[in-house]
Amino acid sequence: MKIDRRRLLQALGMSPALLASTAEAGQKKTTHATARHSESKLVGLNPKGMPPEITLSPLAPRFSSLDGKTLYMVEIGFNNGDVFFQEMQRWFKENMPSVKTIYRRKAGAYPQDDPELWKEIKAAGAGVIMGVGH
Amino acid sequence: MGVPTCPVVTVAFKQICVLNAAKRGMPTLRLVYSPHPVWGKSPDELWAYMNGPDPASGKPMLGEVKGALTNPLTAEDKKTGTETPSVGPATFGPDTSQNLQDFYRNNGYTDFLPIIIPTEEAVAQMLTGTSHHPDEIVGKLAAGAFAPWSFTVKHVAINAVMAGAKPEHLPVILAIASSGFVSLISSTNDLAYGALINGPIRSKLDMNSGIGALGPFAHANAAIGRAWTLVTKNLANGGIPGDTYMGTMGNMLNYINLIMVENEEASPWEPFHVEKGFKREENVVSMFSGLSVSAGQVGKGSGIGGTPHFEEQYTDLFSTFTGFFGALLLCDPLCAASLKEQGYSKAKLIDYFYKHATQTAKEYRERNWSYLFEYGQALKGVEPFATWYKLPDDTVIPKFPHPERIAVVVIGGQTDPVSQVANFSYGRSMSIDKWM
Repeated sequence: MKIDRRRLLQALGMSPALLASTAEAGQKKTTHATARHSESKLVGLNPKGMPPEITLSPLAPRFSSLDGKTLYMVEIGFNNGDVFFQEMQRWFKENMPSVKTIYRRKAGAYPQDDPELWKEIKAAGAGVIMGVGH
Repeated sequence: MGVPTCPVVTVAFKQICVLNAAKRGMPTLRLVYSPHPVWGKSPDELWAYMNGPDPASGKPMLGEVKGALTNPLTAEDKKTGTETPSVGPATFGPDTSQNLQDFYRNNGYTDFLPIIIPTEEAVAQMLTGTSHHPDEIVGKLAAGAFAPWSFTVKHVAINAVMAGAKPEHLPVILAIASSGFVSLISSTNDLAYGALINGPIRSKLDMNSGIGALGPFAHANAAIGRAWTLVTKNLANGGIPGDTYMGTMGNMLNYINLIMVENEEASPWEPFHVEKGFKREENVVSMFSGLSVSAGQVGKGSGIGGTPHFEEQYTDLFSTFTGFFGALLLCDPLCAASLKEQGYSKAKLIDYFYKHATQTAKEYRERNWSYLFEYGQALKGVEPFATWYKLPDDTVIPKFPHPERIAVVVIGGQTDPVSQVANFSYGRSMSIDKWM
């Protein structure tokens, strides 16, 4: 099967000029074949592994407004995240007082799930602001 | 879960977050950015963040949070289905060797040094080093909190060719690849990784465990370490700055990693793999991860005269380590012999380190990694962290939460009774024989 390398490169977001330079170099070599030995050509294998399939995850439905809603501020554990959310709670209290904010430090290390907390949030019908790295 | 969520990240991580939200199936995730950093800022400075702009959009940050939670979903937000990313064509070329060198380097497949071009013939020759089928799945690797990539025996062989390895090195490289340990991880800390080889394969491959054991003095040591880096880049999609690598300055060990070959013959103790339950005649690679290696020559107890007190010397150095990673003593056989003469078995030595490398509870709680990695576990009741977070400030506690975080490996050429110490943790051990 003939592989259209130009279209493949474009689909990958790579410049087909890459191909042009090698094709051009190949052509130049061919035209001089009678004058000298052409440099030998190699075919190299692609060293990349197999990426995981991506399953698209739609966003959860949004609130029509935040008035009267509960927002959980879930801190994942990077330093000073607690103070960051303390100031964010202060902001909501001063600017959007109808919003109830609840601070929670997620259990476990930062990339770990906290199923108990997720259950609590879901049961409360709340939204989540989660953060904050570094 | 169906809960409207707004992730807030500091703007230094915008690229990695956008890329990885897409890889996780959420290309339209409504990220909001705060100024960077948050760490070290006072409440007043963070209050200013709250009242200032999202540095990515220029709009008020809390306005962006509100919008993220209330703006109606678009058609793109609601999309379902699956996508299969492409890694490009199976082959590159035909082209000259130089053009292919440039191509592999310019497209992120190498460590920026020249490679052996992985032709079909070279890879076929490499595959003679294992009895396993080229299409057999070896395992999965992820360079951090990403969905893992899969790879075959042939994929590993391609990277082994590129690294300059020989077919007889392939079983070791396959064992490392199968361990789940990458050598470049996405952390903003500059982590490094190590692999310790035990068993008769050490002499079969002319691996170096004597003079210069940790340096550039043996083909197998160098090629196996380099192959691990290329495996990580190409089979785990690791080591892409701003995407899968965020180490703020990198680690000089990352080039070929900490490849260790135990000098079993000169050791007064049982080899590391035997400690872990393998037979002496088995070929095993043991995986480690951590921060750095430093000189063991200094520290209390290193004075001249009388009986050397290497155990005090190393303990003094371990006390400066983060307890999140463990303590790995790379012990020259001369030091090991001296310690053995003083009555230390490996177990007794590890126990000494565990009891004498200490900190106060206050020092522990004030360390950033304690809060980042262990406070959350303390909340779940995991010991000893749950207890450590409740102790009075001046209570003296071990530096390392468990003796299992301390390891001793005998390595070196006995030209000087000096050792090296590494802030590294043992992970797991893998059979090399399985991949012969």
